[in-house]
Amino acid sequence: MESRSRRFKSNALAALANPVLQGNLKMAKGKFVDKRAIAIKEIDDFEGTREAAKNLRNRVLENLDLWLEKFEENATARGATVLWAKDGAEICRHVVEIGKRHGVKKAAKSKSMLSEEAGLNHALTAAGIQPVETDLGEYILQINDNEPPSHIIAPVMHKGLDEVADLFEKTHKTPRKTEIPALTREAREVLREHFLTADMGISGGNFLVAETGSVALVTNEGNGRMVTTLPKVHVVVTGIEKVIPTLEDLSTLMRLLPRSATGQSISNYVSVLTGVKQPDDHDGPEHLYFILVDNGRAELVGSEFQDMLRCIRCGACMNHCPVYQTIGGHAYGWVYPGPMGSILTPLYTGIENAIDLPHAATLCNQCGVVCPVKIPLPELLRKLRETQVETHLRPWFERLALKGWAWVASHPALYGLGTWFGVRYLKWLAGGKASIPVLGTAPGWTAGRDFPAPEGRTFREQYAAMRAERRKSS
Amino acid sequence: MSSREDILGRVRAKLGRDAANAATGRDTVAATLAERTQGPRPHVNPEKSALAGRFIDQSLAYSSSVDRVKTRAEAPAAVARYLADQQLPAQAVIWPQLAGLDWAGAGVKVAARGAEDADLVGITGCFCAIAETGTLMLCGSPDTPATVSLLPETHIALVSASRIVAGMEDGFALARAELGRLPRAVNFVSGPSRTGDIEQTIVLGAHGPYRVHLILLDNE
Amino acid sequence: MRVALFVTCLVDLMRPRIGFAAIELLEAAGCEVVVPETQTCCGQPAWNSGDRAAAAALAKKVIAEFEAYETVVVPSGSCADQIRNEYPGILADEPDWHGRAVALASRVYELTDFLVNVVKLEAVPGNFAGSITYHDSCTGLRSLGIKAQPRALLAQLPGVELREMNAAEECCGFGGTFSVKFGEISAAIAERKCTNACATGAAAIVGGDLGCLLNIEGKLRRMGDETTRVLHVAEVLTAKE
Repeated sequence: MESRSRRFKSNALAALANPVLQGNLKMAKGKFVDKRAIAIKEIDDFEGTREAAKNLRNRVLENLDLWLEKFEENATARGATVLWAKDGAEICRHVVEIGKRHGVKKAAKSKSMLSEEAGLNHALTAAGIQPVETDLGEYILQINDNEPPSHIIAPVMHKGLDEVADLFEKTHKTPRKTEIPALTREAREVLREHFLTADMGISGGNFLVAETGSVALVTNEGNGRMVTTLPKVHVVVTGIEKVIPTLEDLSTLMRLLPRSATGQSISNYVSVLTGVKQPDDHDGPEHLYFILVDNGRAELVGSEFQDMLRCIRCGACMNHCPVYQTIGGHAYGWVYPGPMGSILTPLYTGIENAIDLPHAATLCNQCGVVCPVKIPLPELLRKLRETQVETHLRPWFERLALKGWAWVASHPALYGLGTWFGVRYLKWLAGGKASIPVLGTAPGWTAGRDFPAPEGRTFREQYAAMRAERRKSS
Repeated sequence: MSSREDILGRVRAKLGRDAANAATGRDTVAATLAERTQGPRPHVNPEKSALAGRFIDQSLAYSSSVDRVKTRAEAPAAVARYLADQQLPAQAVIWPQLAGLDWAGAGVKVAARGAEDADLVGITGCFCAIAETGTLMLCGSPDTPATVSLLPETHIALVSASRIVAGMEDGFALARAELGRLPRAVNFVSGPSRTGDIEQTIVLGAHGPYRVHLILLDNE
Repeated sequence: MRVALFVTCLVDLMRPRIGFAAIELLEAAGCEVVVPETQTCCGQPAWNSGDRAAAAALAKKVIAEFEAYETVVVPSGSCADQIRNEYPGILADEPDWHGRAVALASRVYELTDFLVNVVKLEAVPGNFAGSITYHDSCTGLRSLGIKAQPRALLAQLPGVELREMNAAEECCGFGGTFSVKFGEISAAIAERKCTNACATGAAAIVGGDLGCLLNIEGKLRRMGDETTRVLHVAEVLTAKE
């Protein structure tokens, strides 16, 4: 997917000015945040479980090459074919090739963020294979001219019921429905036909279990089960960081992922799929392919950003982010929004292509405290800012302002003089009022709020005067 | 160079991999697989009746309905009752594993096979059930096809009380002990399928069943 | 006990009375307060903007100025956290300075935390009366665990009625330089905070970090609210009305 992250600021302004989006964001926020808060109380040792999850994810990263080989060995032993892809283009080549090999005309897709990274639907269409998104949210986006998702687990969080009703009426040529259950039923009927006629199922992979060579898929709708049960070919497209050691580790992660994502104690369907259809089986794919994708991940191994590879894509960081809650996901411009996206987008698409994202956070650390695998997201955002400074990617006036302030603050006499003038200037600007409505030196601040006026004399002045007074009187 | 070698090569370089630490690394991998360390687990009372109680409570919380009978032999009548209550035809696709019960005696017409689109009701058992979350663990095989719990709008599952375990870990342990290796498809099912994609409003019956009805067999 | 006060640059410039209130509280707790005169800024803006060199220079300056004191108190959770939890990392590559940073870190306290947990102040000097609502600033809350401390102190004032707002722990949208770089987003987040605070009907919004308070006050005034007061907790605890 082409990145629009360079235009973060204008994207964000458009989002702020979109009343439908603002209404939907407000509604969604309450649901995600409140439900998670309740769900994490169901387990006795949530913090201990987070710690265990962090450790097991780290354990894999410390020997990632060996765990990948172990996974490959066990998956192959069960009849799967393991392929590797360096980037999005190679994902597309692999999937198209597999499609051609098995005479595929239609591919039913369960949600895969990596297929978004790769722009896989375009490649399939160009190769004469019809891709059909089957996650309800992703389907809605697909029929809306392949709109990008705005949330990793709730892809149409930005859309209201009315928009969906219009889209269904237009696309399905059916009478307009305005009840959510009726719309869901209509999508079920349309998509059921696709499940039954697809030659290939494409899914992501929540986890790859090294012990058994299995993929674990977590869904609520059941589309993940459909695309891995009915078509004769199943292709799993997933990142190299998704491997975990054992089924016990999967059990631990399953206590965290649904709770952090949707506030459920468990998702409706957790499928652990291993190998291909056996001779007497009624169902299951005859051919199973894993495409293990790098696309920037290997670079993070052993780097100061390695913690990010623990991410299990639950979306809790964005659900709890004050910035995401205010502008939604599209403003971030690429596949992953919110705090995790503000780290992954520069790392995966080039730090110079997402210059604003690491700064688009208040560093409030709400994301850090909810992350189920304890990724220090604010720290990583700050490190990206540091990398920008080191590589001279920040605008000159910002560098000058920061350097200037640090220089002044390093020289107390100069600081005293500068602040003496500064507070008097601000006080004069306020003109006797309690606040300043327009501040030329900080237009960003006064765009949406006043700037409170200072008292007029600095603390150090007043303190020195007070000390002098005390000395005189004693 | 193949992409495999390219990717693994870069990962190895990043990790500072050499022959010596590869050997220790392999030992670590082997040890981790052998140890199968578990994370912290919520307390689940292991008494048989408590497991059943928790399984039922959690299943209800996940919008399943629950009935209880004593023995397997009573299951067909319970199914017939449920279908009549729901005004559904007394006709179902069923796991071949369960075809031997006296369905005809209860007036239920069953077809033992994988499910098709037209099937309205699917009857399954389960490999085991998980009390912690009210979850069925279904293991696919020729006798227990995965489609029966997926395609029909109504899924009825028979659950033997003795097969209710505390957590997912226990389900996997049972699978290792009894099946040796994982079957192609292990599906954990907790209630009817659902979606919250439109305005985060939960709707039951997305792509899988609209209804999941559990019949607990207390003496089995 | 001899205590050095790190006033913070924001208090120095914008609200000196918070600094004097902090001194009054510390003296009420029996402390001898020293204010090192050359102090300026803790370097947090530079650090959070990615300028490690500038942050390190200011960290060294603060360490040199304050390491002679047994205890350092800061009327701001985020500046206290900068010295306590960030300085050692900023200076990690310079063993000598790193050691000095670590030695200072554990002796640095946020004001209310110090008053409650170290000197156990039991008679705050003010007599503020009225309804207030408390905003928990992010860094103090999530990095230093500042939550109960200001409330315990406020509870010592019989005239204070605390009305907790919805989402008191949510960010106000300040975020230091974020508030200037992304002013519109920042102000929109501040609006949610103000709406939640005003819904309590409290006469004053109180907090422990001046940055947040300026953000909230600026938004309130822009929203046309001229009456709700926005106060630092030290001001409330020392107010004589």
